Order: sequence, then structure tokens, then C-alpha cells
Amino acid sequence: MADVGDRMFCHACGGVWLRRDHGLECPHCHSEFTEIIEIPPDTEEEVPDPPTSVPEDRSAPPRNPWADHNPWDHDNMNTDTPDWGSGNGFRHHTYRSPDGRFTFSSTTYTRRGSSGQQMPVDPLMPMVRGLDTIFHGLADTYRQTEYRQPNERDSSPGLWRTDRQNQGFGPNGSRIYSTSFDIDMNTRSNGGVGSEFHTTGGLHPRDADGPQPMGTPLRTLGEYVLSLGCGEIEKVTDLYSILELFRADFGNNGPPGGGPGVRVMTGPNPIAILSTLLNLDRHGDAVYSQEELDRVISQLIDQNARGTAPPPAAPNEIQSLPKKKVDQEMLGSEGKAECSICMDPVELGTEVTVLPCKHWFHYNCIEMWLSQHNTCPHCRRGINIPAGPEGSSDNPVVINSSPETSPRRPSGAAPEHSGQSPPRWNGPGPETGGQEQDQGQSSRNDNQGGGFAGWVRSHFGGGNQ
Amino acid sequence: MGSKRIAKELAELTESPPEGITVELANESDIYQWKVYMDGPEGSPYHNGRFLVKLSLPTEYPFKPPSVSFGTKIYHPNVTNDDKGSMCLGMLRADEWKPSSKIAAVLEFARQLLVEPMPDDAVEGRIAEQYKNDRARYDEIAREWTRKYAMA
Repeated sequence: MADVGDRMFCHACGGVWLRRDHGLECPHCHSEFTEIIEIPPDTEEEVPDPPTSVPEDRSAPPRNPWADHNPWDHDNMNTDTPDWGSGNGFRHHTYRSPDGRFTFSSTTYTRRGSSGQQMPVDPLMPMVRGLDTIFHGLADTYRQTEYRQPNERDSSPGLWRTDRQNQGFGPNGSRIYSTSFDIDMNTRSNGGVGSEFHTTGGLHPRDADGPQPMGTPLRTLGEYVLSLGCGEIEKVTDLYSILELFRADFGNNGPPGGGPGVRVMTGPNPIAILSTLLNLDRHGDAVYSQEELDRVISQLIDQNARGTAPPPAAPNEIQSLPKKKVDQEMLGSEGKAECSICMDPVELGTEVTVLPCKHWFHYNCIEMWLSQHNTCPHCRRGINIPAGPEGSSDNPVVINSSPETSPRRPSGAAPEHSGQSPPRWNGPGPETGGQEQDQGQSSRNDNQGGGFAGWVRSHFGGGNQ
Repeated sequence: MGSKRIAKELAELTESPPEGITVELANESDIYQWKVYMDGPEGSPYHNGRFLVKLSLPTEYPFKPPSVSFGTKIYHPNVTNDDKGSMCLGMLRADEWKPSSKIAAVLEFARQLLVEPMPDDAVEGRIAEQYKNDRARYDEIAREWTRKYAMA
């Protein structure tokens, strides 16, 4: 047969090629989302190097290599089952469910020193693929915290020993995943990212449009599709990807002569995975597309802009600011002064509002500013900070007893100014409201000048809107 | 109150404009849109150029800051290299703005920024890098742009 070696199938474009000729990357669309399609072993001798195919034990389909596979026993892998690996770095596993309804096969490649295998060297990809698989698995299992796989009754407990405390087996052998399982797996896998390994896993065959080297499962695949739907098939695949990752990670540590090479061939597109993952329960800032990211960033910018700017002062705080008639001393040496907000000149005897920092303005002017920001427009000192002891800042009356206050009008500011202000200034703005005042004040104390605090406050509802 | 103060500031700026700055209303009926002509300061690569700066005042002025943008293309780390030509001025940010700041101060600050760009507060990162690492080339391009766009 002219088919020497593995055939590759591209999941992105559906193309098929000989691995020996074009390697693992799709020559048509350059996707790396490819899969090695198993070829019957009759060509093995023709291709001694690189070894491209490993005999499958197809004569005994019910045999389940997983059943007695101990992922933790690295030595067993290499010595007790040499027919899997035959020292060339390739291992092939086939699993067929007992009822024959689906078959899963995996090929594991382990790079060993400079054995000249045609593994593309891409230092980044293994990691991406590995994370890929983890994410995808995470996503799927998050989506269904209870995930059942009715056809897989005889999965080896040894295989799942990894997380037994988190992962239960249903009464009929169906597996139940929990969220904690995934988190745990992720944690573990993080440790494994650095080491390289290489796996191929997947339900076989998965694409009805592609070549179907395995005859029997094709028929059963249809049943499977009928019974579970396409999404479920993907999940089975992903499940095995995780499994493979896991197994390779822990069962395959440090083969002699160099680091193992990670490659999970069936790893789905990372973006898609992230998308799936983050779509599951979107906690505000989790995004999966550029648009979403832009949206979140601009939202954060907005929040930040609002958050770092001083919050509004409460109306009663503004009203209780001391008033004073401009005297000669306030006009300074030049004998004239202006309100720095409206820039109108201020005559002797004009009543102005004095802030704790002693800067003074027309009441109408400062009222409009303070109803937006509770700081002095000139020096930015907070109007409610320096007036007295810290604990009393939420009692505006304290301002009246502060030393800066002119003794002439110690209290009763409200009736005083109401004569000269339009009525709307008595209840300014949307900031009115007792509860909000309290909140606003406390956050103000926390938030003087703090960008991050402002962000936190606006994020967690500091209530100064 | 806002328009009154704006009118006052406009009058002041027209009467005694700061060095290198002339102001006028973009449209006589709209006191909130100003056209400012800024001469490139001496000692900067913008020297001899005349830059149109658009100053836009919010109706809440002076409680909200004005915004400044360059109508003339300019090669500068703090001016966006696009149609908008937005200039990033720290004092114009919502949390930095003080109503006691005057437009004259804003414009002088903007002009000072032509003399001394602030690469660490840049909107054009590439130009900022160049300004920091290859001043000669930056000067050259800025001069060229000035010649090309600001000397009509």
C-alpha cells in the first residue's frame, strides 16, 4: 500500500495528508489542530525511521489497555508493556467500550534525545496545547458539573486514582465530575506544563466527513451521535484529552535521554476553549473576544475616572460650611479679590463660604463644585477631613465648632443662604439621600486620593453615584 | 455662570494673550468652541510652525475640564497621531481638574508641552520611545512634520 506511515487529518480544513511528507501541521491551512489517523500496521517495516505507526491490537477489541494501566507506575509502562512503546517513543492505546459502541485510541509520542523523529519543534506549542486541553476540559466539566458517560463502564479505577476524593463514580459506573475536580486538575497540571509530553487522544473517528480508518466505530458513531448529540462527542474527546494529559504528565515522567515532548494533538483552539470556559459564568470582567475586552477596559477606565475623582459632598455638608463676609484681610494686599470659580470680583462685605482650608468662594459657586467633588477647588483639601477629630467627620456639625470657623455665623447656615440661593440648591443633585451620605462619607475617608480604592469602591458599590 | 466666566476669560486672553498664543471663537455664536493658534516655541522642533489647537469647553465649565486637540498634524508623544489629534494633559483629567484653573493656564501648559514632551505620560508610545532613545531622529521627524503641516 502506498500509504506509508500515518495519515494526518486536519480538523480545521478537513484535509488529509501523509505525516511523513508534511509533518504534523496541516499543509493546506497550516492549522495545528490535526490528528494522526491510525493506519493498520502492515507498513511498519517499510518505515523504520521515523516510526510512524505502531501495531494496534485490533484483533481483540474488548481488550482495554486502560484497565490494567497504572498511570503512576512509570516503570510498568516502559518495561511491562514494551509492545506499546517498543522504545521508539511511540505508544499507541486503543480503548473500545465493552459494548463496542465507541472506540478510543491514542498515540503517545515521547521524544527521546536526538532520535531523529520528525517532531516539529515548537517550544510554545506543547504548553499551549496542554493548557488547551485543560481549559477545554475545565469548560466542559464546569458546564456540566455532573457529567455522565454511560458507555464507559469499565474505566479503570486506577486511572482515576488521581483525584478520587473529588471525583465520584455513579452507582452504575458512570463518572461524575465535580468542579473541584477540575480545579484540582488544573493545579496539578500547572506543575506539569514545564515538562514536555505528547499525547494524542480522541474518540475515533470523530469527523464523519474525514477518512474513517476504523470501520466498526463508524457505525456506532452514528448511534453515539443519536444518543448524545455532537457536543457530547466533543466532551468525550476532551475527557480523554485530559486523561491523556494527566497520564502522560504523571505516568511518563522523565524518560531516559531527554525531556518528553508534549503534544496533545486533539487540543482544540485555545480561543474557543477560553471562550467556552469564560462564557460559562461570566463574572463581570471575564472576556473571550476583543470586543468584550474593549468593553471591559473602557468600563474600567470609566470607573477609574469616576473613582479617582473625589466623590460629591453631601448637601448638608455643603450647607453647613461656615459663611463669612469678606473683610479687608481676606482681600489681601491688593485690596481686591475674585471668586476663583466664577472669577467675578468679590467686594468687601460680600458673604462667601469658607472651606476648612480657608479658601473661600461664593456659596453658589462652591455649592456647585462640592456637589460634584468634596474637595477645595483650589488646593484639593477635602472639606470634611481637617475640620475635627477623625471620628466626627460624619457629623457635619463639627465643622461649625472647628477653629477656622468665623464666630460670626457659627450655625444656621441653611436659613442664611436660602435667602440668596435659588431653591434648587437646597436639595441639589441626585446625591441626596441619607443612606448614601453615610456611605459616601465612609468611602470618602477611605478613598482620599486612592485610585485603586476608588476602583474598588466603584466596583463594589461604594454608593457615590 | 459658566458662559460668563468663559466670556471673561476670552476677553482676557484676547486682550493680553500669552506668548505665542492667539485665541478666537470658532464660531461667533458658540462660546464653547475656541480656535487657538499656537506658535511652535523656540528651541523646539515645532519652532516656526503655527498649530491650530481646538479648545472645547463643556457646558459645565469650569466644573468640568476643557478638552484640547490639535487641528494641525503634529509629531508629539502626547498628541494622538490621528484625525482627532487629542492632547493628553494631566491637568485636564477629571480627577486633576480644578475649577480655579484658567484656560490661559491650560493653553500655556499645552504650549510648554511642545517644548518638553512628557514621554512617560504619552499617548503615542512609539514616539515617546523615540523621544527618549533617539532624540535626534525625533527632532528630525517633528521638524519635518512641522514644515509639512504647520507652515502653510
